[in-house]
Amino acid sequence: MPRYQLDLTLRRAEGALGRVIGTAERRGFRPLSVDGETREDGDRWYLRLSVEGERSAEFLTAQLEKLYDCLAVEAMPCP
Amino acid sequence: MNAAQWLVRALEAEGVDTLFGYPGGAIMPFYDALYGSALKHILVRHEQGAAFAANGYARASGKVGVCVATSGPGATNLVTGIADAMFDSVPMVAITGQVPTHLMGTDAFQEVDVFGMTLPVVKHSFLVRSVDELPQAVGEAFRLARSGRPGPVLIDLPKNVQTVDATHLPAHAPAATDAVPQPQTHTLRAALELLSKARRPLAYAGGGIALADAVAEFRTFVEATEIPAVLTLRGIGALPATHPLNLGMLGMHGTQAANLAVQECDALVVIGARFDDRATGKLSEFAPHAKVIHLDLDAAEIGKLRAAEVGVRGDLRSSLDLLATVRPDCAHWREHCLDNKRRLGFRYDAPGPGVYAPALLKRLSQRVPAAIVSCDVGQHQMWVAQHWQFNDPRKHLTSGSLGAMGFGLPAAMGAQLAMPDAQVICVSGDGSFMMNVQELATLVRYRLPVKIVLLDNQRLGMVRQWQELFFAGRYSETDLSDNPDFAALARAFGVEAMFVDCAADVNDALDRLLASDGPALLHVAIDAMANVWPLVPPNRNNAQMLLDPQTLEMEDADAALPT
Repeated sequence: MPRYQLDLTLRRAEGALGRVIGTAERRGFRPLSVDGETREDGDRWYLRLSVEGERSAEFLTAQLEKLYDCLAVEAMPCP
Repeated sequence: MNAAQWLVRALEAEGVDTLFGYPGGAIMPFYDALYGSALKHILVRHEQGAAFAANGYARASGKVGVCVATSGPGATNLVTGIADAMFDSVPMVAITGQVPTHLMGTDAFQEVDVFGMTLPVVKHSFLVRSVDELPQAVGEAFRLARSGRPGPVLIDLPKNVQTVDATHLPAHAPAATDAVPQPQTHTLRAALELLSKARRPLAYAGGGIALADAVAEFRTFVEATEIPAVLTLRGIGALPATHPLNLGMLGMHGTQAANLAVQECDALVVIGARFDDRATGKLSEFAPHAKVIHLDLDAAEIGKLRAAEVGVRGDLRSSLDLLATVRPDCAHWREHCLDNKRRLGFRYDAPGPGVYAPALLKRLSQRVPAAIVSCDVGQHQMWVAQHWQFNDPRKHLTSGSLGAMGFGLPAAMGAQLAMPDAQVICVSGDGSFMMNVQELATLVRYRLPVKIVLLDNQRLGMVRQWQELFFAGRYSETDLSDNPDFAALARAFGVEAMFVDCAADVNDALDRLLASDGPALLHVAIDAMANVWPLVPPNRNNAQMLLDPQTLEMEDADAALPT
């Protein structure tokens, strides 16, 4: 099954992480790993999410980009 | 001024004039602030009624609908109406009370994490933990609800936050609605080129046209190019029902002419539609010869289910204006489609003395052509879609994506409040009607002159139809023959009611219904075994329709309409 790595920049808002992971799961992608942090500015989450799923990375990216808390998302095949 | 009072003023500043709700413990400070305010609060009898009423208000008016409930069960009761707004792209703001912040996370009385519960069914949501977060939450909620592809936004407001001092907050200033992005020139050029070469082009029009206020541009596009059009359930009305190039609704209960055209076309111009499974039938066999030009504001819809040869993201009005300049060479194809439409239309000459629902609906639509029609979900919903002569998509209120029974009556209430001078008709079924029957009390309280046509087959008709066709006639739990006397029930609420069970009496019954001053209900007894035709069975393509066994081809379908 294809695997993708997503690099996301999120608002550090209540529910942001749940929205992103929930969207991935509801759209048919299984999370494999999650790694994230806030930095000095404190108002952003920087999240790296690896998923696998039959649908395309573009499909998931388009759905994530619709989330208000998602400021940027970049997808690439897992190395 | 406390935060609840600030919120009431903010709603007024947003242009809210009507809101729908039900009070309870955790939202009491807000209701206290409402007392004596200029906002018109409609007290429903169940929170689901509030959400659907706000939904109907928004659908009919295009404005943001607002509903309010308390924490816990009040909030959970809103969820179906919020989900419906999400999946049909309806602008709504739902405000819920929440237990005080110090009790959140302790399983307190009437505590439910409605913020978490609604994550999959909102466009966005805010949990306001301090008064200083309130201005941004309210401003963004309304901006998001109405911008781009509209949708519902939740504001969850703990009780203690509602009561703190808010005198330091600035007066609320509504945010501007986001500008609509313009389509990219190179995509439009590609669309023009593809369409100009088509010999069998077809327009496939959805609910996005009305959302984009692009009805006029769509009609101009169809008339200028002379391309036939098929409509989705939510696209109905984008082209008048009587327009010569309107082939009708496509999909599971679409017209034969529409479904055949889709299967035969060589170019499909998809406008504000999303390849919903009820529209496409078996997706892999949908429009098998067509190259797709997909116009949509929502980039995520383009290519989601069917790859588009050309995807044009952006303002539908601009895209349609440009595409209207194309003159494809398709006269032969057009005549073929229109010939199918003439030969394969609906018939209304059902045998027997009973009431034939499609004939009643078509007759009523001719009597009140400007009416707003709110449907419930099931067979009657499909008959409305097939037989009502809509001329405006905002006048067809239907739970298209979620398919939520119980939608019809409260949505009609909301529409009537949004459009006080409009004729509002609620078409319901005996299953759906009982899901929010308590809202008859709201109709009476506010003297809303909604006219209810209750098509009663004493069954969960659509499920029964599927049991007949696909489950070997094993009618599991679809018998509602112990329904109450609906006319008596309506009268108990103070609603004028009448009954008809004979085709010969339909005109008189409709006369009495429409002549009543206030809310009124016409209880219509119909055949328990009546089915909706055509029907595309599951896992079949749209050309593989099951047809009414009694249907024969005829030269002029309308000639059979009883006079």
